[in-house]
Formats: sequence, C-alpha cells, structure tokens
Amino acid sequence: MGIFTAPAALLISVEPFTSRWMDLSNFSRSQAMIDHSSLFDDILSLDDISSRNSRCAYCKGSKLLCGKDRCPVLARFFSTNRVRGKIDRLNIDGASPPSVFIGRSGYPKVSVGPMIPPFHGDTSLIDTPEKWVGLPIDDIIEFRSSLVRGMHQVDVSDVENSNKLVTRTRELALARTPPEVSAEFSKKPQGRLTLNDDVQPFGPSAPIRKFDISNVKFDRRLEKAFYDTDLLAKDALVSLYHEGALLSSIQRAFSVGAFGIARRRRFVPTRWSITAVDSQLGLRLLEDTKTYPCIDDYRVYETVSLDNRWAILMMPTSWRYELIEAWYPKTAWNPHSDRIAIISDHEFYDGRTTYAQIGGCYYAARLAVNELLSQERRQAGISILRESHPGYILPVGVWNVRENVRAALKNPPKRFSDLNAALVHVSAMMDIPISRWVKNSAILKDALYQRRIDDSWG
Amino acid sequence: MFQAKARAEVLKEVVNVVSSLVDEAKFSVNADGLTLRAVDPAHIAMVDLSLGKDAFEEFKADETEIGIDIDKLAQFLKLAKSDDIVDLKHDEDKRRLNIVVGDITRRMSLIDTTGMSDPKVPNLKLDAIITIKGEDLIHGIRASETVSDHIALIANPEGFEMSCEGDMDQVHFRKSKKDLVSLESPSSVRSLFPLEYFSNMLKAVSSGTHVVLHLGNDFPVKMEFTIAGGKGAVRYLLAPRIESGD
Repeated sequence: MGIFTAPAALLISVEPFTSRWMDLSNFSRSQAMIDHSSLFDDILSLDDISSRNSRCAYCKGSKLLCGKDRCPVLARFFSTNRVRGKIDRLNIDGASPPSVFIGRSGYPKVSVGPMIPPFHGDTSLIDTPEKWVGLPIDDIIEFRSSLVRGMHQVDVSDVENSNKLVTRTRELALARTPPEVSAEFSKKPQGRLTLNDDVQPFGPSAPIRKFDISNVKFDRRLEKAFYDTDLLAKDALVSLYHEGALLSSIQRAFSVGAFGIARRRRFVPTRWSITAVDSQLGLRLLEDTKTYPCIDDYRVYETVSLDNRWAILMMPTSWRYELIEAWYPKTAWNPHSDRIAIISDHEFYDGRTTYAQIGGCYYAARLAVNELLSQERRQAGISILRESHPGYILPVGVWNVRENVRAALKNPPKRFSDLNAALVHVSAMMDIPISRWVKNSAILKDALYQRRIDDSWG
Repeated sequence: MFQAKARAEVLKEVVNVVSSLVDEAKFSVNADGLTLRAVDPAHIAMVDLSLGKDAFEEFKADETEIGIDIDKLAQFLKLAKSDDIVDLKHDEDKRRLNIVVGDITRRMSLIDTTGMSDPKVPNLKLDAIITIKGEDLIHGIRASETVSDHIALIANPEGFEMSCEGDMDQVHFRKSKKDLVSLESPSSVRSLFPLEYFSNMLKAVSSGTHVVLHLGNDFPVKMEFTIAGGKGAVRYLLAPRIESGD
C-alpha cells in the first residue's frame, strides 16, 4: 500500500484520479534505475559495429560499467523471486549437494563457506549443472535459490588455516555424495537470489559462526590430487578430467585451493575458478587438436534451449574459433535497448593473448568443441552462433553455454560440401540474417573473404 | 651430411623470417647452401628462403632434410651474441642437430619431416613492382596497426600507397615515385591484405634493406628482400582478402 500513502498534496493535484496512479504503481524499481543510464549509453560505445547499447552484454553484471553500485539488470530479479521467506532463521541443516562458494569481492580477503539447502536426501542435482540441460529455467532458479551461502572471511593464500570453517569448507568441496551439514549463522540469511553470468544462481547468504558436517564420503580422485602437493594444479585438472571426474566437481575442489604445489595453493573465487578450469582444460585438449588432420566437410550442429538458439559451424580448416552472441531486446543482457546487441570474440590458430571480452562463456564453449574434436581426433575451424531470445530472462551461469554446446554436439550434424550451403542452413534456423552475423564475425569473414595461397591464381 | 659454422646473427635472421609463419620447418640442405619453403597453418602466406653457402663461415653438406622446431632454435640462439660463431652438425643416426656456442653444446632432437609437404610456389603475374626502403614500409605499417586488421596496398604510375580503414579511423600512407627506390606500375592496382601477416613479414627486414613488392589487382603480394648481407634471399607470398558483394 506504500504508493497510496503519498503526500496529500500530490493526491489532490492529480485530477481526475486516473491512470497516472496506475502508471506510477507500474513504474517498477528497475525502470527507474535504468532510465538514468541512457546518457552514458550514447557516450560509451563498446560495440561500435552493431549497436551502441550493448554495454550490458559485455559487462554481464561483473564490471558495473554503468557506474551503479549494483547491477540494475540483476537487481530486478531480487524483487520478483518467489522463494522469499523460506529460510528466515539462524540455523539451518540440510544435505549440501555438496556445494561451496568462494566470493571475489575484497580479494585477497574473500568469503568462503558452504552452501546448504534446508532439506535432506540426495540434493546432488542442485550443484551438478551437467544434469541441467533440458530443465526449465524456473526449476533451476527454484532449486538454486534454496541454497543458503555461509560466509567466513579468509585470505586467499591461507588455505592451511586450521579454523574449522575453512577445513570443513574444503572437506565439503572434496565430497562425492551430499554430506549432512548443520550450520549456525550470526545473522539471518540476507538477500533472496544472487545471479551472475558465470556462476549458477544461489539463494540468501549470511556470516557463518560454525558448521558441522557428517557422513562425508570423499571423492577418491579429488582426495588423491589434494594430497599430492607436488602436482601442478594444471596437471591435476587434466588428470582428474581424464579420469572422468565431473567438471563441476573439479571446479569446486579447485576453488578451495585443493590442487597445486603446496605453498602456492590459493582459494579461487568461484566465478574465476569456473573459467580457469574451462580455459585450462580447453587449452590442454587444443594442444592435441592442433596436431590432428582437418575434418572433411562443413558441419552444422544445433540445439535450442531456454529460448537460446545455438548453431555450431565447423569448417575444414586449421584451428580457429569464435563465439558470437546476439542478445534480443528484453533478454538478460540487453534490457535497455530496442535493438539486438551482437558481441563476439575470436581466436585464430595461435590463440589469444588477452581475456575474451565476452567473458567466461567463450572458454566454456571452447572446451566443449575441443572435447568433440579430440574425441574424433580431428581439427576444425569453429564459429558458434548464439541467438538469445526474450524467453531468456535471466542469466543462469556459464554452464548453460558449456552444457548446451556439449548437448548440440551429441546430435548428428548436418553436413555440407561448401560454406555457402552451410550458411544457408544456419540462416534458416536463425532470425538474424547471415549478413549481420558475418559483419560481427572474424572467422566467417576470414572464411568468405580471405583467399589462400594455394587457391588457383589464373 | 651437414656441417657448418655461421655467425649467430645470420642464423637469428633466418629464425626471424621463418618464425613469422611457422613453428616447425623443414630445411633442405645441399652442397650450395640451404633452402626452406613453408606455408603457415592457415595457408594464407608462404615463405621461400635461400641461404647460400657463402653466408656461412664454413659449410659442408650433401643433400639432406632437417626438421627444426623453430622456437627451440630461437631460444638457444638467444644465448649467443651477434658475432659469436655457431657450430652446427647434423647427427643423422640419432636424428639430432648438435649446436655449439662457446662452451655450450645443445643436442637438439629433430622433427620428423616425412609428413611435411613441399608447397608449390604459385605462378603469378604481378604487374606492379615497387622497391621501397624497409624503414619506410615499417613506418607505414606501424601507423596502421591500431586502426584495422587489414590493409590495402595500392600502386599506380605516380606512386605507392597503403591505406587502412577501420570502423572509426583511417590511415593513409603515400610515397610518390621520386621517394621510392624504384617504381614500375603500368596501371593502377589494388589488393587488400591481413595486416598482422604483413606486419609479421616485415619483422625480419633489417635496417638499410630494400624491400621489393610485386603487386596485382586482388592478387597475392610477393615481398622480396635479402638477409645475411645479401647472401641470403627471402620471398614471401601473402594471399589477399577479397570482399565481394558485401
């Protein structure tokens, strides 16, 4: 009723009592925040080719490029989340999937701790994004928002800290099945749903006073890497991956500083650890990929998920790779504009020397395509096109990119003998015309326009 | 059999030329000297290098092929000063190249060359021939590097021009005929090239060297210059970019 307790003077001035009040009540918090930013949109241009208003697509809530202290795009969802009030108490017990979270703000002093849902049983699905492909976005948000994050501040290099909050967080990260956790917070958990582009969403958080875990069954493989204090973190990742450990469990253990040369172990903020693991494993596979012969034809793999359309184009060339994302108006990372924002990043054979502007998704998809190539023992040039339609209302994490590209690559591809035929097929499944994709693509431009030395020069 | 002594400087020049395009290379050796022909992994550029035996202090060889990891060689050569004499000896049985600089001996295992192809040099008819000071060319490229990722080379009877157009900025570099070493361009020609490649090719041009460009219309460019004080020759070919119907 807050809106109707407005000053009487204002009430009187509105005459007759009509739609202006309705407008005000519809005037959501997020709209108010966003309108001020239009000035900056005009000045600051990050994607001068396709759109001026794609600042959000590059930032994805991580850099706060708009100058606000909280991302308004994400803030919108704090108010619409339906699971409020579920966990309004000082102690919680439940079966952690297992799940931990390492914050990044304040680095190198960061908050580490467990994530616990307020229920028991087999909760493993909640922190296993590998199993989420095909689930509706609402379900993912629902079960993720039940995760309460406990926070304990520690220096990232202090992985040997004997504080039980630290050692138990690590034990949790090395667990194979969901252990029982009971936690005591010094304040009631605050916030409702935390979203960002790299990390899966999660629920409220609170400073943690103590927690106990019981019934811990360690993952033997993770444990072995943990006790090997001479093994480089990079090599630990690779060997665990080849032993079949799930990426999410490798990443979880990586984030608590469980791998690497003893004195160089660190806590790694969760969002960084996801991309670190994707990037390292991708690079490792790529070393092999580059030694294999090229594929024989043009292929298009495709999938549709969470109102995102994916096309993965493979070309019979040496290694090169790009990810192009097109954000429709009203999608998560293009809220202010009435135009489609297209962003992309690429690498040619020699790879990149700088971090991809489009973020962790670049590395997640690079890993996924290299998994297929190394399995086939083939090399290819790759262009991934992603069309994000308005049903994709909020970011769910980088897993979405990795797992959907993986899923697309499991289906048999459509095969073509030349690039044009492949592009015609892609254009049939996408709304954005091929010419616009090409304009934003380094790899396709190269394929279409760059001639080869062994072409015929008559 | 291959056994030679050379000044480190000369070998460094060779490494510079080759590393601009490939990581691994197959050197062909015979009694007259050493040659190499390679295409980069993307098949956009080719290098054709020859180094006569008189570029070496001592040179003895029968016909053979030596596959070298260029990074390894470059890394080792960093230990040598320009004037140091580098002793090279091919150990055919152990498939190694033994390299000695001063007190250091490196036994470098070689790459298997059986799978490495011999690229054919395409037969090109390029009308315009521009000879320009290496420094001038490098200067023009530096000016373009931040503007776009491709560059147009243009020649006409009056002069030579490099033009780089990005989304925001443009850079033009012009040299009239009198400011060039020489120019033969019966008509006007223009081709567009990937800037990074072009710029990499210039890395091996030492100061005071003249660079000869052979240019056509939407055709590859041929770039020639000498190394090792005129005792070695480098020819690069770079394929153009043709933006048709966009």
